Amino acid sequence: MQQPSTPSPSDRPVVELEHVTRRFNGLTAVDDLSLAIPAGAILGVIGPSGSGKTTAVRMATGMLNPTFGEIRVLGEVPARFSRKAREQIAYMPQLFSLYDDLTAGENINFVAGLFGTYWWKRGPVVRRALETVDLWDARDRLARDLSGGMQRRLELACALVHDPTVLFLDEPTAGIDPVLRQSIWSSLRGLADEGRTLLVTTQYVSDAEYCDRVVLLARGHLVAFDEPEALRRRAFGGDVLQVHTERAVDPEMLAGVAHLTSVRQDSPRRLTVVTADAGKSSPAIIETLRQQGVAVASVEEYQPSYDDAFAALVGADERAMQALAGEKTEPGGGA
Amino acid sequence: MSGFFKSIVRISSFIGKELRELIRRPGAVASLIFGPFLIMAIFGIGYRGYRDPFVTEVVTPADSKLPTDPGYYENLTEGRLNIVRVSHDEQAAIERLRKRQVDFVVAAPNNAAQQLRAGKQSVLHVSWNEVDPVADGLAQVAVNTLVHELNAEIIRQAADEGFKAAAAEGADVEQIPPEVIAEPTKAETQNLAPSKPDVLDFFGPAVFALVLQHLAVTLTALSMVRERLGGQMDRFRVSPLNSMELLIGKYVAYALFSLVISALVAALLVLVLGVPMLGGVLPFAGIVLLLTFASLGVGLLISLIADSERQAVQLSMLVLLASVFFSGFVLPVEEFIQPVRYLAYILPVTHGIDTLQESMLRGGIGDLWMLGALALIGVVLYVGSLLRLRRVLRSAI
Repeated sequence: MQQPSTPSPSDRPVVELEHVTRRFNGLTAVDDLSLAIPAGAILGVIGPSGSGKTTAVRMATGMLNPTFGEIRVLGEVPARFSRKAREQIAYMPQLFSLYDDLTAGENINFVAGLFGTYWWKRGPVVRRALETVDLWDARDRLARDLSGGMQRRLELACALVHDPTVLFLDEPTAGIDPVLRQSIWSSLRGLADEGRTLLVTTQYVSDAEYCDRVVLLARGHLVAFDEPEALRRRAFGGDVLQVHTERAVDPEMLAGVAHLTSVRQDSPRRLTVVTADAGKSSPAIIETLRQQGVAVASVEEYQPSYDDAFAALVGADERAMQALAGEKTEPGGGA
Repeated sequence: MSGFFKSIVRISSFIGKELRELIRRPGAVASLIFGPFLIMAIFGIGYRGYRDPFVTEVVTPADSKLPTDPGYYENLTEGRLNIVRVSHDEQAAIERLRKRQVDFVVAAPNNAAQQLRAGKQSVLHVSWNEVDPVADGLAQVAVNTLVHELNAEIIRQAADEGFKAAAAEGADVEQIPPEVIAEPTKAETQNLAPSKPDVLDFFGPAVFALVLQHLAVTLTALSMVRERLGGQMDRFRVSPLNSMELLIGKYVAYALFSLVISALVAALLVLVLGVPMLGGVLPFAGIVLLLTFASLGVGLLISLIADSERQAVQLSMLVLLASVFFSGFVLPVEEFIQPVRYLAYILPVTHGIDTLQESMLRGGIGDLWMLGALALIGVVLYVGSLLRLRRVLRSAI
């Protein structure tokens, strides 16, 4: 594959959305979404069904116009993409939209042709794309005879076949088993490492770990946008430590320890502590408890799952929204 | 230059894809080739080109001297009536007509001789019970023939008796045969057409044109609707493909396919069923090309209007129905009022039938304006489809 030049940090983001809103007949599908993806990064757009992921992708690929806001991809407005820009973009739709009566190989060959790949160059690129998604052995099978997971992989291969610079993949891992999912993410990581830029939507929260940055959407609204690890920290207000002691302990004993955000007692001999800096807090906790006659059996950093983290973020966002709505409805509470 | 070659690559990809999809349905392809041929073969073998004569009962007055032999009356009507009974009860005969046991009841007047001598016309009562307007018209023709033949027979007999009476009185009369007095003129006919097609030969080019139009319309309409509704159009919208490349790809693929099918069906029609092709292969191919071009435009128009495959099929069937009625396939276009003729001329098959019949059965190409009309329909629909498709492909909503 052609190696895109690695951009310098000062380069403009490959994909930029600024305060983008999209409404359908008064219903807001995407609300004031801003994000930027630098070259060579994977942005995961995570959210439940109906959260606005596909609408965002369709706007970024020029199929939908934003009601408000601005979008730029490769420096161009998507609705007016030049042919050169289109040749650098790949789009994988959410639903299978290839030809049932063509084989896997013929489908991918057709898509390569759509992007102007010359006949004599197609053999190797078709093979490489099919091998990337582990479908080379199924190249002569009709698309309608492929399983749902294989059809998704074929769609992904079609998105890769013309050697794109920017890829918009709408739920590429939907319906794919965990082992193959990992393999696909590994391939996507390889593409990003080559300097390609990827926007990938997914309903699987755990897919966040493969992304450089993650956008969390709910009801078309941006809940969070950050690196996955930072989002996990933000979900619980910092690092989470689990402190096990030799005898019963009172949470008040940790009142003087710096950086602590919260202390919760899970059992007489176990505390869950949230701290802004686990590295500094751990020795302080051990020392403080020791001074009060409580020996610490262990202090472990607890890694909450992304599911827990994102559920916490969405929950906090919902509470904030409800509070805001409550303020607005109270007399004298603003417009 | 690279852009031009990439356009060729994109168009050829479309052509290859469309043809592969068509070939993957061998049953459909076989039915497209052999279906029209089989229909024509069954039509040619099974169609007699005439109706059975009307089943007729003749009612004569009980006291008349009119013949009671059905054969006598059958001869008078030149086989248009099948006389099954000669009776004397008109009411009973009418009742049988109501029950549709007979098609015709002819009641002879009971005082024909006195009426003639008194210088008055006699009235022949003829009744039938028919809702089919074509059969109604044929019945009228049969009655006219019957009355004409009866009148001629009466004149012939009167002339014969007159000559005999004059001769008996010694008069010197110039003998003119009674048959000549009864029918002083007769027609000797000739048809200058370069071929003498039978019904199969005549309808062969028309069925061929109709099938070709239907094939092109249906295949194109369904193909594009599937792509619109199946999500493929989204892929095209993001890709560098433009509307002209997409359209040319579709046109060329379906034109190639239609021409191959046309060649095979035409070969079967000419070589197996013996339909003449006096105009030769080149004019035939030219007309087929123009008809295909215009018909593909109709299919594309449907595909851009229809919201579902079902609607595309319905609209294609409507075009077929309109074509059967207005194209001259069944009823001559000249028999419609002018505004309806314009509708007929919008249909590619109207020009296709006329020019193919002219080419195959007369060896010419008929009215040049019809070929021009086919080209014009094709160009207008192509440009319309292109503009519409450009909006679909490149306009964000």
